Amino acid sequence: MKGNHLFVRNRLLPAMVWVIAILVIWELTSWALLNIGHLPLAQSKLPYLHEVLATSIQYSGTLIKEGSATFGNAGIGFLLGALAGVVLAILMSISTWIEKLTFPYAVASQMIPVLGLAPIIYGIVRDEYISRILISGYITFFPVALNMLRGLRSVEPSALELMHSYAAKPWSIYWKLRLPAAIPGLFSGLKIAAPLAVTGAILVELMGAQHGIGVIMLRNLYYGPSHVYMFWSTVFIGALLGILSYWLISLIERIVSPWQPEFRSKGGSHS
Amino acid sequence: MSLTASTVKHQVQTPEIQLKDVEMRYPTDTGDVLALHQVSLDIGKGEFVSLLGPSGCGKTTLLRLMADLIQPTSGSIHVAGKTAKEARLAQKYGIVFQSPVLYDWRKVKQNVALPLELVGVSKIERERKAIELLELVGLEKFADQYPWQLSGGMQQRAAIARALAMEPEILLMDEPFSALDEFTRERLNEELLSVWNNIQNTIVFVTHSIPESIFLSDRVFVLSPHPGRLSAVVEIPLPRPRTQEMRNSPAFFELIARIRDSFEGV
Repeated sequence: MKGNHLFVRNRLLPAMVWVIAILVIWELTSWALLNIGHLPLAQSKLPYLHEVLATSIQYSGTLIKEGSATFGNAGIGFLLGALAGVVLAILMSISTWIEKLTFPYAVASQMIPVLGLAPIIYGIVRDEYISRILISGYITFFPVALNMLRGLRSVEPSALELMHSYAAKPWSIYWKLRLPAAIPGLFSGLKIAAPLAVTGAILVELMGAQHGIGVIMLRNLYYGPSHVYMFWSTVFIGALLGILSYWLISLIERIVSPWQPEFRSKGGSHS
Repeated sequence: MSLTASTVKHQVQTPEIQLKDVEMRYPTDTGDVLALHQVSLDIGKGEFVSLLGPSGCGKTTLLRLMADLIQPTSGSIHVAGKTAKEARLAQKYGIVFQSPVLYDWRKVKQNVALPLELVGVSKIERERKAIELLELVGLEKFADQYPWQLSGGMQQRAAIARALAMEPEILLMDEPFSALDEFTRERLNEELLSVWNNIQNTIVFVTHSIPESIFLSDRVFVLSPHPGRLSAVVEIPLPRPRTQEMRNSPAFFELIARIRDSFEGV
């Protein structure tokens, strides 16, 4: 098919070229640091990717188990934070009074460095699972609330007038107009928040948890050069979890709102 | 109030829409702006009238007043024997805006069925009705498409179908075809008349095009700007059904000249 051919040439091929180029450059640089530069701890600075991959496969069981602990807690926190963000956005859109009352505090809350907040939360609740959930939720809440509120306000005046002309109830206006119109904004917020929620959960684990990818990350960092490949494996797993979370949200967005401009297929237009 | 002789000739039997001494002022930083000054008019049941005038003459304001989307500073507005607000709450009119205002997340048939959904008509019933309305405007094949898959003209036809969903006694249209090209516009003018011929309701049509107002209407209300006021009412004696050939008739040109003469202070 012509469409498939174009997809391979315009999308897949450039991506492949990039990935292969980066892999080759990485391996070459790693080799150069080790054998030409003779740098101390060369493999800690830029390890051989094939060694990292081999270690990842060898310890895949551990990585998956700890990764899921992180991802699971981050996911719960993300959902709770997103829910709180959506509810606050709706409340703020209903009443400017609520907005004036809560918005400055919502902004101020985001000024607290997560690096400082994580040990405080951990010190208070003394439970690594709850801490992870709280921090992930805390990080998720703000971008979701902000983007959702923008979405709720993005409704065109004429679209609202149409509802008024039908004497629609306020509840109907929310349900049939404002909320659907806010979906693109909501997903922008969710896509920003999802990888951050994962990072937040990992951060909590660095404060002295028992489980999670952050724990093995820290442990292998302490063990030193002998565990460099395992350390890098955990870094890559952390990144993968972030990418996976983003990808999941994008997939859900496509299913929930196929009508968004960026998902529209070309050639469906009639004149 | 002295208007042209045609008002006297045209006796409105049962006024469907009645405006008395309507005055509309908007407050601005530099003082009030007088958008409409002392407008009184009657529109009969089943009549097709146009509100014609240049930008700033208040023709859209006048339509929005009838729709109760805004309220007058003074004067009274009655629609279908009720106040404008009661008429809106009782769903006495359907409205078509300058842009189609179709919701992106709804298929064409769901957009058309929106007013029925708002009053709680069952899903099967509103689906049936939506298809029937889409047939009326020739869009039944596109019922399951999304609005953005349709051309501008088709979107506006879908908007007309939606406005007719509640079988309104009055159809209010605010420059519905002004964003379309001349050819599409003339075709839609003809289609609108054939739809009107089927449903026989009252239509108030806002436009800034003199030929469009003549082609469509029984009467043309000519508005002039600064301040917005009613400057003439012109009766259109062209027979119905109107045909595209009439656009080239001497009578048509004569009406264009007459309306053009009736503008004051433009």
